Amino acid sequence: MDQVYLFSLTSKQADWLAHRQALIAENVANVNSPGYSAKELTPFAEVLNNTALAQRSSNPMHMVGYGGATAETEATQAATWDVKHSGNTVVVEQEMMKAGEVARDYSLNTSVVKSFHRMVMMTLRG
Amino acid sequence: MADPLVSALKIASSGMEAQSTRLRIVSENVANAETTGKTPGADPYVRKTVTFAATLDEVTGANLVRVGDIGTDKSAFESAYDPGNPAADANGYVKRPNVNMLTEMMDMREANRSYEANIQVVKQAREIINMTIDLLRS
Repeated sequence: MDQVYLFSLTSKQADWLAHRQALIAENVANVNSPGYSAKELTPFAEVLNNTALAQRSSNPMHMVGYGGATAETEATQAATWDVKHSGNTVVVEQEMMKAGEVARDYSLNTSVVKSFHRMVMMTLRG
Repeated sequence: MADPLVSALKIASSGMEAQSTRLRIVSENVANAETTGKTPGADPYVRKTVTFAATLDEVTGANLVRVGDIGTDKSAFESAYDPGNPAADANGYVKRPNVNMLTEMMDMREANRSYEANIQVVKQAREIINMTIDLLRS
């Protein structure tokens, strides 16, 4: 089973999804803040593909948003459907859609972990 | 480093708090929609406005929302002819508050909707936390 890095992969995705949920919370909370622009994480597939050396925040003083980020989860301004009169680019409907996506992906993630764990246990018990 | 799901809950509750402050301001405006001055020619109640701003929380590093400033509406007062009113000026006109009920109702609906959106985020974050805990049960 060592060849299949499934647990590491799922925990990586769980981390990414949790960060995305925090970012969605941030966007929804700031839905009426003038001048705030919606943020989005780099897609997970891109995070996995990106093996180049990236800049890291090596010090807690380095400024990051959304509840303590890692280099793998970098927030950028999102392309949203609409810009409001106040310069705010958050669209609640879009954020709700994203939140649904996160919940779905997380459910899949935990189901994969569960069944894989069951497989490992089956092997152990014989 | 703070757990992102915990900070998601914190961010959403800051949003709920900001929206409820907004709702309080709306209710103040609606309650005082008929409040005129006491002395002849005195200014009536002035409509209050509320603004939000994103602020960086230094503990979790999250962008919370806070009520930025509670200001007053600068638009002109309406005046109505009512010579019997104690606030009437020499010509019998009374200055009335610059509160527009339609605007206030709109504001209320929007605050309500934003509050609901924040609650939805809290629900979903809690669901995700529960899914993680369920892993231990299997």
